[in-house]
Amino acid sequence: MRILLVEDDELVADAVRRGLSAAGFTVDHAGSAEAARSALAAEHFDLAVVDIGLPGDDGLSLLARLRGAGNAMPVLVLTARYALQEKMRAFDLGADDFLMKPFEQAELAARCRALIRRAGLAPSGALKLGRLQVDLLGHQLQIDGVAVELTRREWLVLESLAHNVGRVVTKERLLQALAGWEQDLSANAVETHVSRLRAKLGDAALIRTVRGLGYRLDDTAGRNP
Amino acid sequence: MRTIRQRLLLLLLPALALLMLLGGVADYWIAVATTRNAYDQALASAALAAAASVRADDGQWQLGAAQRAAVTPRAAADGSRLYAITGPAGELIAGSAQLPVALPGASGHGDGVSFRDADYQGQKLRLASVRTDTDLGTVTVTVAETLQRRASTQRVMLLGKLLVDFAELDVTLLLISIAVYFGLRPLSRLGEQVEQHSNSTLARFSEADAPGELRPLILALNHLLELRHHAALSQRRFVADAAHQLRTPVAGLLAQLELLLQMPSRQAGEAPDLRDELQAINRGVQQLAHTANQLLALARAEPVAALGESFQPVALRPLVEQQVERSIDRAVNAGLDLGADAQEAQVTGDAWLLEDLLGNLVDNALKYTPAGGHVTVRSGVEDGHPFLEVEDDGPGIAESERQRVRERFYRLPGTVGSGCGLGLAIVDEIARAHDASFTIGVPAAGSGTRMRIRFPRC
Repeated sequence: MRILLVEDDELVADAVRRGLSAAGFTVDHAGSAEAARSALAAEHFDLAVVDIGLPGDDGLSLLARLRGAGNAMPVLVLTARYALQEKMRAFDLGADDFLMKPFEQAELAARCRALIRRAGLAPSGALKLGRLQVDLLGHQLQIDGVAVELTRREWLVLESLAHNVGRVVTKERLLQALAGWEQDLSANAVETHVSRLRAKLGDAALIRTVRGLGYRLDDTAGRNP
Repeated sequence: MRTIRQRLLLLLLPALALLMLLGGVADYWIAVATTRNAYDQALASAALAAAASVRADDGQWQLGAAQRAAVTPRAAADGSRLYAITGPAGELIAGSAQLPVALPGASGHGDGVSFRDADYQGQKLRLASVRTDTDLGTVTVTVAETLQRRASTQRVMLLGKLLVDFAELDVTLLLISIAVYFGLRPLSRLGEQVEQHSNSTLARFSEADAPGELRPLILALNHLLELRHHAALSQRRFVADAAHQLRTPVAGLLAQLELLLQMPSRQAGEAPDLRDELQAINRGVQQLAHTANQLLALARAEPVAALGESFQPVALRPLVEQQVERSIDRAVNAGLDLGADAQEAQVTGDAWLLEDLLGNLVDNALKYTPAGGHVTVRSGVEDGHPFLEVEDDGPGIAESERQRVRERFYRLPGTVGSGCGLGLAIVDEIARAHDASFTIGVPAAGSGTRMRIRFPRC
């Protein structure tokens, strides 16, 4: 997985480069928008991490030119400024995620993983989540390489959670996902299917209940135990 | 404090009352003088006519015509008129005996009629006397009249005048009130505008249909608003710049420290003591980052910086859900059960500030609730007021401390752990910028802390 880091501050750039490398990414660093453009023209990257405050052209104009040229590569925008307009502009221009400085390296790495996973999901259809291997096209689940049988409803729950790994999926959304299969479905039914799925996953993955909100499949991949 | 309207009325009313009083006195004198003149004239005419009718034929008085001229049948009927005709020596020739006589020159008209007021048999009379020469000598004809009729005429005249005066007074008062009201309307309208002026520094007062006297005031107000707007904008720019300048090096430091701390243990083994120190430095830098963030959040929430024009409809439910999702890892690490009870609610405000507010409330609850506790984040509408609420079952805040914890840099005595004492001050500022109330109480369950932001009805 190759990441282009566009950041002018040496201290931040150096740390992020080393941190993301340690998390298993290959990182190229560009100190300005111009350098980033030439790097992008020459090489393929899976993701760009772009700081807004760059000398010369800023990160947002780099993003705008990227999207203007039809490049759909996921872009995570970094900023030290706190302004709603800036965040909204970044998303309007086609940013995929937004992170405020200072941030934790682990969070940046997790978000990079999630962005790359989402972008790469459609062609491959396979998702590696720690000890889980989820084949979204073939409707197959493997734990440590061993296939696990799931009912259709358990599979629907897992699919929703796996698509949003590390993020909370509300009960309503799970209910909607299941409603296509069952006519009169109660909120209890969601709980039943989740707890059955939990039993089948064992300690290979954690489905966390977030009281009053929903469930979250914890993102354990790449995290230090 | 008196309003201008009250002052105007207070100035005008005594002057008006005095004017009316003087008018009343003048009317009284006019009524008295007019009736006296009119009645005296009639009395004089009667006396003159009677005197002209006195005849002395062949040494005999012929007085029938004189009597009829002196006392008309109508006057004779109600007894309001008397007469006396006396001879040259004062002897009574005809009429009432001992009727007094107005001596010539006492108060006379040019036509030889003399007038006098006199008492006669317990009645007040007005007399008119005329002398006339006859063959039998000079006789004096006196015609007298009681005062009842002139008094009643005076009364009617006076009453009429006073009624007209009162009607005039009422109408004048009404007109003054209306004039004062409409005259001061632009002023009271401006007052309302100032009162209702939003937090927005962009709104201006209209001088289009303001009277000339108010125009300098409105221009001055608008100029002040303009200055305030520029000050707010430059403060915002300063905050944004300061944020950038502070955060970038702090971000670099933190990232570098994180890497150092993650280094494989063989390196840590070479310098076993370094790891603890790195941890300490890391905590310090994190504290620095946190304080810098909080100070900037506080600066953003300052009323002057909370520009009303950034206010827009904000849905509270997603705000709660996002906050819970964002904080769930921290809660899990602290051994706490963090949950949401999010009902639909909508307010007008600044989404980022509200996010700051809720984040600080949740941080606060997570920080001070011991492991094993529960923290619940709520949104909803109660009595028409949207609210945000964070409840925990921690140790709670003593009632005496509930006001002080909102002060900047204040921390509860005996508090352990990191924190700069700005969290609740930020919550307080942001609540104020939204015209919302911030209350610290106890949950229904009886222990812990319940912090609630109650927004104005929407």
